[in-house]
Amino acid sequence: MITVTDVSMVLAAGGRSVTILDRINFEISAKQTVAIVGPSGSGKSTLLGLMAGLDRPSSGSIHLDGTDITTMAESRMARFRREKVGYIFQSFHLIPTLTAIENVAVPLELSGESRAGDRAADLLSAVGLSDRMGHYPVQLSGGEQQRVAVARAFACRPPILLADEPTGNLDSATGSHIVELLLALHRDHGTTLVLVTHDTTLASSMQRVLSLRDGRLESDSMPSNSSFVDDMSTDSRKSNRLSSTESAFQFGS
Amino acid sequence: MTGFLVKMAWRETRAAWRHFLYFLVCIAIGVGALTGVSLFGTQVERTVTKEARGLLGGDLEIRLSRPMSSQGQEVLDSLGERGIEHTHVSELVAMAARADPVSGGQPTQIVELKAVEAQYPLYGSLRIEPDTKLGELLRQQDQDCSGHACFGVVVQESLLIRMGLSVGDWLKIGQAQFVIKGVVRTEPDRMANAFSLGPRVLMSQEGLRSAELVKIGSRVRERFLLKLPSIIPPDPLLYELRGRLAPDSARVSSYREAQPQLKQSLEQLTRYLGLIGLTALFVGGLGVATSVHAFVREKLNTIAILKTVGADSQTIVLTYGLQALMLGLVGSLVGLLIGIVLHLGLPWVIAAVMASDLLDQLGFANGGMGLSLPPLLKGLALGMLSTLLFTLWPLLTIREVKPARIFRREVASSAPMPSSERTRWWSSWRDLDRIKLVVAIGIGLGLALLSIWQAGAWRVGLLFILAFAGAVLLLGTSAHIALLAVKKWPRPEQLALRQAVGNVIRPGSQAVSITIAIGIGVMVVTTVSLVERSLLAQVGENRPTDSPTFFFIDIQPDQADGMVSLLRQRSGDPTPQLTPLVRSRLSAVKDEPVKFEPTSEEDEQRETSAQKEERRRKWFQTREYVLTFLQDLPKDNKVVQGEWWKPGQALSKPLISIEEDAAKQLGVTVGDTIELDIQGAPITGEISSIRSVEWGNLSTNFFMIVSPGALEGAPHTYVATVRVAPSEEVPLQQAVVASFPNVTAINIGDVLDSFARVLDRLSLAIRAVALFCVLSGVLVMAAALAATRYRRLYESVILKALGATRGVIARSFALEYAMLGALGGLLGIALASALSWVVLETVFDLSWNLHAGVLAMGFVATVTLTLVVGFLSTYRILGQPPLAVLRQE
Repeated sequence: MITVTDVSMVLAAGGRSVTILDRINFEISAKQTVAIVGPSGSGKSTLLGLMAGLDRPSSGSIHLDGTDITTMAESRMARFRREKVGYIFQSFHLIPTLTAIENVAVPLELSGESRAGDRAADLLSAVGLSDRMGHYPVQLSGGEQQRVAVARAFACRPPILLADEPTGNLDSATGSHIVELLLALHRDHGTTLVLVTHDTTLASSMQRVLSLRDGRLESDSMPSNSSFVDDMSTDSRKSNRLSSTESAFQFGS
Repeated sequence: MTGFLVKMAWRETRAAWRHFLYFLVCIAIGVGALTGVSLFGTQVERTVTKEARGLLGGDLEIRLSRPMSSQGQEVLDSLGERGIEHTHVSELVAMAARADPVSGGQPTQIVELKAVEAQYPLYGSLRIEPDTKLGELLRQQDQDCSGHACFGVVVQESLLIRMGLSVGDWLKIGQAQFVIKGVVRTEPDRMANAFSLGPRVLMSQEGLRSAELVKIGSRVRERFLLKLPSIIPPDPLLYELRGRLAPDSARVSSYREAQPQLKQSLEQLTRYLGLIGLTALFVGGLGVATSVHAFVREKLNTIAILKTVGADSQTIVLTYGLQALMLGLVGSLVGLLIGIVLHLGLPWVIAAVMASDLLDQLGFANGGMGLSLPPLLKGLALGMLSTLLFTLWPLLTIREVKPARIFRREVASSAPMPSSERTRWWSSWRDLDRIKLVVAIGIGLGLALLSIWQAGAWRVGLLFILAFAGAVLLLGTSAHIALLAVKKWPRPEQLALRQAVGNVIRPGSQAVSITIAIGIGVMVVTTVSLVERSLLAQVGENRPTDSPTFFFIDIQPDQADGMVSLLRQRSGDPTPQLTPLVRSRLSAVKDEPVKFEPTSEEDEQRETSAQKEERRRKWFQTREYVLTFLQDLPKDNKVVQGEWWKPGQALSKPLISIEEDAAKQLGVTVGDTIELDIQGAPITGEISSIRSVEWGNLSTNFFMIVSPGALEGAPHTYVATVRVAPSEEVPLQQAVVASFPNVTAINIGDVLDSFARVLDRLSLAIRAVALFCVLSGVLVMAAALAATRYRRLYESVILKALGATRGVIARSFALEYAMLGALGGLLGIALASALSWVVLETVFDLSWNLHAGVLAMGFVATVTLTLVVGFLSTYRILGQPPLAVLRQE
């Protein structure tokens, strides 16, 4: 599904070159859930951004679904991203001038979907925001904004969801609700989920953990412990609520 | 996709309309100025076209500068057999005197006399009060005027005011007395000329004969107006008459070709006003570009997010481009409204500052303020197109926004490290962004085409856009250099000043674009003022100290001695100068007959398509030459080639001394022969010298001077020039009129004043449009300041938090705006000096003088204006409490 081969990233900052990523190699198979962990400045976010084609690595290649995205022209990359990748940011990054429903509708409208508004409304209902659709981002709480962001990332039913510290700006209760949402998407639609996090509990709830340090891949582990199973069961329990709403809008169908 | 574009563009506009207020106004102001000017131009042109026959006075006009010969009269009379009506109009300047010298007001007054027949006018309408038949008013009156039979006259109101007369009073003109029977408001065929020597007096041809003003050699314009039955096409008759009336040196023109002249000058006026309007629009375009640039900077995150969720650059550029066009549309529509208001308001303005008869003649007064569609559509198109052209460049930066900026803002750029090798020009060429290059060329071409479209001529349009681009480039470069210089200097100690300097030179400061916008506005207005001042100085202040006060014209040979003794006695000048005048036309140059006017359609076409130079030569060939014969070389004349005749030199044939420009245009030099037609009698002379003439000395100057004796017996009159003290002017004029009623006194001071008035009105119109450029410049500044509003707010709040008072912050803002104004003002007046120099040297052939007052005023006004505008757009920041702002951070 995602193949990262010899990816390095060297940037110019203050007149000096800084190596952000140093020959990273790994492969993520379809429907896997992966956490990328590491201390600040280890290059986690950059790696995730490169996987979404938001930037180009200095060297190496990244394949998504068998397509090399590192050589893709910018506009083709944008269309490719629309179909294949949903991206969620730590600080939500909703468009401030658009209402919640308009934010969710943007990727749908870009794809030329005729009933973008209806589908955006369904998506927002699914994340429990049916009564906040006409609100602007500044009128929403952090948790609500992130839920809008999740709905937006999943609007075009991409097979891959990338989340950059999705709970980083949220309190723990709100954060766990967002995680539930993401895991529900993985479970119900087989979405490949890759998230960057500082939170070890969150990381351990993923099937696989990639650990970065100073731009190098330090470890690649499968936390086969009970916590994963526990968490999964908790998630299942918690996501019942989501499943019940799912019937209303068919998340991703 | 289109759906997305429209929706997204609308959503972004909805959210940011405040931001775009300046954008809208910038476009609206430019479009308003342009539309106002072109609506006015269209109105004038339509009126001129519609009233063409009225403005000429007939289908055809025959014009002579001497009475029609009997052969000519026969030709005219024969026209009646073909059903062609004609009427005779004589025009001349003359002196009117009050019959009763006791009452108040001026005793004598120069007037423009027009003698007509009962059929007048053949076309158009003559408005007179009382509204009676003209013939009735002008006929011989039943009552006597102090014992003589007398005719009626209808006069312009200004004559009554100046001479303290009223309807029913008597007036003495020439040898006769007249009764004022009414007031003339408008004449169809008195061209809308703001310039005249004096008020109009209308009388009958019989009245004119009774005044005995027209004598041999008198300065008179005889016009015969023809009205053709609709079955007779005018053109063949035109050529026929030109052929048949050639011996009379008559000019024959049709209403179709007579109008181009008036049209041409009005067209030229509206063309240049239009270009000033276009300058306002382009300056506003800079504001639009600034606005969009700031908007895109603000939207970097949104753009990155859009790219993250799958929008490609093209889609985003199109989205914001569409948004700009929507705003451009709204701005242009508002501009059209401004233009319409200007157009409809114009009559009041004209009525307030200019003569109201001008309005009547242009058809403004009688509800003729029509709105025509083409100028409105053109304004709309120009507004939309310039919006597009000025937004393209800033929108291109959208392409460079990397989605990565969202998660990595601290890193300067994701560009690979530049190699340490020296970049060579070809590699920089290789790295050149092709799209940017294409767009830049496209924008340049587009602006050039818009200019050409507005100017209506390739050359003028290209010249305009080149000058505009040159001004922008110069202002931009100078501003850059000035900022660099300020950067090099040590920072000032004082906090407010340091803060101000910092704001001006900081990275991303809009100082350069503000300087360009303000500089151009100041440049246009100051240039207009400088040119006007120089022209006024030329006609007024620079008047030679020994220039004459009066020209007395139409002095008959038998009056010459009497005139000399009267002038000697009255002016104290022991030798008043009398110069003989002979009216003539060229009949052949170097034995080649001068073709007077085209006598066939082919000639006509050839002539109208001729270049300006060619037309100028034609003018020199066909104009009337007033000659003189003199023994001595007049003062301020210099022989540049050949020799002046020696006193007592025996001449085998007439010799001619010709002015150098005329010699050049006629293609003659010393030794060539010229044949002159002097009131029907031919004279051939040889050019013996070429002279340079100081035309500005306001004396009697001549293109051609003939050796004495050569014009013996030719019909001539004399012109006398005399210089008297101001207190002597009125008595002298009165005495001359009393003794020589046919002699006309032209007061140079009055003529120059009247010329200055015309100039003043013209420059008022130009300045009014030029003010729109300043307005645009100011708006650009306001837009640029608005774009930095948040940054200012943040900084001022931090300063406050650190203990700065509101006064310190206000002072630093004021200093910053003053610096911007000073820079823009200084560069603007410098460019204005250069531009006015070019205009004066090339267009008016005048030397440039430093007008420190105008420049200083331009500078001070600019600084004041920038202070006011800056203060208005930022004063609210001063009152913000720090915590509220900082908490939002």
